[in-house]
Amino acid sequence: MNEWRQKNPLEWNKYVNKEVRVTASDKQQHQGWVYTVDPVSASVVLVDFQSTRKASVAVVMGHAVGEVEVLRDGDEAMAERLSAVFVPGGRQVLSQ
Amino acid sequence: TISAFSESGTDSCSLRDEQRTRSVLRERYLRSLIAMSQKQVWFNMHERVRVEAKFGASDIDVLNFQVSDLQTPLGIQKEALIRCPDVISYSFEL
Repeated sequence: MNEWRQKNPLEWNKYVNKEVRVTASDKQQHQGWVYTVDPVSASVVLVDFQSTRKASVAVVMGHAVGEVEVLRDGDEAMAERLSAVFVPGGRQVLSQ
Repeated sequence: TISAFSESGTDSCSLRDEQRTRSVLRERYLRSLIAMSQKQVWFNMHERVRVEAKFGASDIDVLNFQVSDLQTPLGIQKEALIRCPDVISYSFEL
């Protein structure tokens, strides 16, 4: 079991909304904004915004996570943008 | 283990924080899986094998992915299960 999988949710949460570079066990590097880390499998979900509308998602499985390097912190606007990525039909306001 | 948690108030408080964070992180991961259903997904496997398939579903422990039209070097598999320990990473477009 690798070091990454042994972290607890509070430690994984520190990476959320930050831009990181993850080196996987096949030596491939993936760069993007951390949307979440699955607490069951320790997989890292990275979102890369290439244009204003489209986004691509890369997920490195927890067992294959090598080094995780933080490149920069996200601001509030980035946190909101990330939260809206997987909500169907964009952000919805449910209360007034 | 229960007595270990009930020793002090700070322990139960940090445990609660941890559980809350765990559920937020998990919910977000499940949302990403829902967003992936019926999309073309690229899987990077061991030995630099890269395959493409339409994602269907995952089991709760993320041990298997059910996919359709798996494009392998030996042809197209109409329906298949991918063992997650064989996957290094996967990617898709939203």
